[in-house]
Amino acid sequence: MSIIFKKSMRDIQQRFRSTLLAILALTIGIWGGGSLLVSFYIMSNDLSANYLLTKPYQLSIQSKDFAKLDLDNLHELPEIAAAEFRDRAILRIEVKPDEWLPLWLYSVEDFDQLSIAKFYPQAGQFPPAKGTIAIERNNLLISQLNVDSVARAQSNGKLIDVKISGIIFDPGQAPSTQDAFIYAYTDEANYTRLSGKATHQKLIIRFNNVKTQQDVKQAYAKLAIQFAAQGIKIEASNIPKFDQHPHQFQLNTILMINGSISFLTFIMSMVLISQLMNSIFTRQTRQIGIMKAIGAKRGHILRIYLTYLLSISAVSIAIGLPLAVLTGKKYSDFIASVLNFDILTTDLPYFIFAIVIVLGFILPVIFSLPMLRNAVHISVNNALADYGIEAGNNASSSRKTSSMGMNIYSLAWRNLARRKGRMLVTMLTMALGVGIFLTGFNVRESLSQFLTNSSNSMQYDLKVVLKNTVPPETASAPFNDIAAISSIEGWLDGVGRVQTDAIATANSIGLVAMPYDNTLNKHDFLQGTWLTGAEQLEFVINQQAASEFAPIVIGQQYTISIAGQDISARLVGMVREFDVAKIYIDIDKYRQIAKLDDEINSLMMVLNDRSYDNVLRVKKQVERVIANQGIEVVYIISEVEYTKIVFDHLNIILTALLILSLLVLSVSAMGMGSAMGINVMERTREIGVLRAIGATPKMVIRLFVMEGFMVSALSVLLGILLALPLSAYGAKFFGNLILGENTPLDFTFSFMGFAITLIVTLAFGYIASRLPASKAIKISVREAIAYE
Amino acid sequence: MNIIQLNNVSKSFEQGGQSFTALSNVSLTITKGEYVALIGKSGSGKSTLLNLITGIDHPTGGHITVADTDIHKFGESSLAAWRGKNIGIIFQFFQLIPTLTIIENILLAMEFVNVIPKDQRQNRAKNLLTQVGILEQANKFPSALSGGEQQRAAIARALANKPEILVADEPTGNLDSATAKSIKAIFTDLVAAGTTVIIVTHEDISGTDFDQIIQLKDGQIQPHNSTVSEMK
Repeated sequence: MSIIFKKSMRDIQQRFRSTLLAILALTIGIWGGGSLLVSFYIMSNDLSANYLLTKPYQLSIQSKDFAKLDLDNLHELPEIAAAEFRDRAILRIEVKPDEWLPLWLYSVEDFDQLSIAKFYPQAGQFPPAKGTIAIERNNLLISQLNVDSVARAQSNGKLIDVKISGIIFDPGQAPSTQDAFIYAYTDEANYTRLSGKATHQKLIIRFNNVKTQQDVKQAYAKLAIQFAAQGIKIEASNIPKFDQHPHQFQLNTILMINGSISFLTFIMSMVLISQLMNSIFTRQTRQIGIMKAIGAKRGHILRIYLTYLLSISAVSIAIGLPLAVLTGKKYSDFIASVLNFDILTTDLPYFIFAIVIVLGFILPVIFSLPMLRNAVHISVNNALADYGIEAGNNASSSRKTSSMGMNIYSLAWRNLARRKGRMLVTMLTMALGVGIFLTGFNVRESLSQFLTNSSNSMQYDLKVVLKNTVPPETASAPFNDIAAISSIEGWLDGVGRVQTDAIATANSIGLVAMPYDNTLNKHDFLQGTWLTGAEQLEFVINQQAASEFAPIVIGQQYTISIAGQDISARLVGMVREFDVAKIYIDIDKYRQIAKLDDEINSLMMVLNDRSYDNVLRVKKQVERVIANQGIEVVYIISEVEYTKIVFDHLNIILTALLILSLLVLSVSAMGMGSAMGINVMERTREIGVLRAIGATPKMVIRLFVMEGFMVSALSVLLGILLALPLSAYGAKFFGNLILGENTPLDFTFSFMGFAITLIVTLAFGYIASRLPASKAIKISVREAIAYE
Repeated sequence: MNIIQLNNVSKSFEQGGQSFTALSNVSLTITKGEYVALIGKSGSGKSTLLNLITGIDHPTGGHITVADTDIHKFGESSLAAWRGKNIGIIFQFFQLIPTLTIIENILLAMEFVNVIPKDQRQNRAKNLLTQVGILEQANKFPSALSGGEQQRAAIARALANKPEILVADEPTGNLDSATAKSIKAIFTDLVAAGTTVIIVTHEDISGTDFDQIIQLKDGQIQPHNSTVSEMK
């Protein structure tokens, strides 16, 4: 073994703790960064792959005239990749005693010949036995339903027993755990039996040679002409986001957080490595001088320290990479379980390993280049003259001592200034950690604020959406005996993804018709104002509907399709909400257009006691009335449940944000810890001198702790300055990602986050300086003075 | 035969924004196999002169030739290789690499310079350790050796690549008198064997068989007319 290699290995042994810390930092960097890279690869591929493997539909068309359609001829058209009838009815099903959820019941012509919007058997019978249903596997998590259970379903005011014979996996559906729907699939005869609806009224289509939603729109326009020629009148159509899973936004957000945090974690662990290498070089400067004096060329010095560095990398990669693969896969499994998709990636491609290995070797070298350069280029004379810390600039200029004399604060401050570069790097690293951590809290607060606003926008507690429009008195009469209800207001409305089954525009934008002067809505406005009750037809949109009306100009006239008519209306405002595309108009105006009498379909109930438990208790009472009286209901939802649904959608993002920002803070804290440790270690001799001239161990510790506090406090200050623009950007970025384009969240400063950050950072500063200082004072004064 | 030739060599430093002249127009000649003492007070320029001769530092004026080579034409790496081959350096505080054993310290110097064939290095290192009387310490780390033993090891390392010139900066300044005496004896033996030895010292040089004594004062060579002890 070459002596040069031996020396590198012995350096590792001798600087075992520093080396261990460097290995730990790099391992964390490789582990954290690598696992996020692995999960990024798996998830960015697999949700989309799960979804695309189902051959999702790109267009759905509703018509009662499909008897005139020759489906075989349709299949022959070159632009049609697949087309099937897949009718859907919304019923209700009892998932637990007195707990009902909307049931999306799909009719399937032939379970064995699915060509579009495919799903896969998981348990029980497949196809489900005639007269039974198969439910989606994610439904099991929110219900007591399972194979062989018989549940009560409500359809057309009647209660029907439904047998579940199978469990399927439908990657195309939003997870039930978040959207609170039960998805069921059955044969056409049973569909008609349960829903009372005819089949073959909804056609789903997938096209050839389309790449964007715009292409689909064009293909649909052509198809609509052909249908019209065949006498098929289209009642409604829907073009979902092009080949995109309903919850792709969540995954996109998580992937974005993953990507940026993994980059930061890696970079920060590199900063830590560079600090450690700096300390090692600092301590070995004289050795470098000696080696050069006895004949070492630059290449020899470079080899010694490269060997050292690459050995650290090799060990860190050997530990970090398997951990990265393991946790990356586990993390992907976790996200997959939350979003209800299967992990399809079994083997990671070699390039993932190559990226981690190459970065693991190259980045520490790049980040240590200034130190390597110094080590290689330092002259023998300068190297031999190096005795550790120099007084720096302070020594060359005189400094007035205050009349109070030298105190511990000014001494600590001057000490920090001795290694300006290192302290600056330490503070910047810590500030970055603080900035990211605080940004995590601030963005979380912005999302929480948005949730609060969403909750506040609904001043009612329960909403019952009826299947048919009825006079208000008729609608509310069954509930008059429930004393807990203080008032009921009637609207024409739906909510969320069942909106379009209540009332909607022709192109499937949900419609909410309510008294313009109602007191039950306090919307969160992005632009404009609420309906004014003017003579002219006005409407308000939410941000999801904005793309349909782009460019958005408040006060401008737009054409909206209501009750089969194209009407010109004035846009007066745009609200922000976590919901599908919707427009709001005055109920009286809607009735005039739709030629409805004084009728409603939604009961907005306000309770006397609005507490969570009471709302759920009253909801059960309402459910019982509905079940007992056979009221035909699309669904019933409480405001608190709606808020929970929204929260569940965002929670995974919030959690990921906090965990990952904590990772960044941890790595930066390690950076501070190592820098403070090096600071103490380098000044061992100085500690000896201080003690020799009378400083007590307590004073020495106080001095270092004060330095630690100063670094922490400055880092927090810098971190806050960094967090402000980052948080503003984060609020904008996540708003756009979660709620849609041009929908920023409001910037919010989290005081709790600030308090936690401050406490954590100061505690890190204290521990990072206290521990090494306590250790250093245990060395005898004689040993400390002789320390090199 | 001249092995070291300095003509009007000067060296100035910038310190605290001011120029400080460490050596001023120094000229001297050392012939091959001479035993030379470099004496003078602290700050007189002894170490600076030694650094210039070894190529550790560069002059700000004048010309230096060592072993027929204008050493300051070399780049840093070539100079290091040249130095390793031609000059053995011994430091006051021994400066052995603490993470290598004594024999490994010697082998490291050989590995850097690469003039001793690989298969001869172990034997040569052992012979050198025998020569300085510490063969039994070959596999110990420097910290396990006494000051005198460490300095012997440093001498062995300095001789690793068969240099023509050996320079020692206060080689016995950190040793007790008995140990110092034994170290001086090694130097005398080396001179007898034909090595040029230059020693910077503060100590009394009376009774020592130097061929040439170079006395420095305020960066200039003075005629030697007193013992070192008188100059302190």
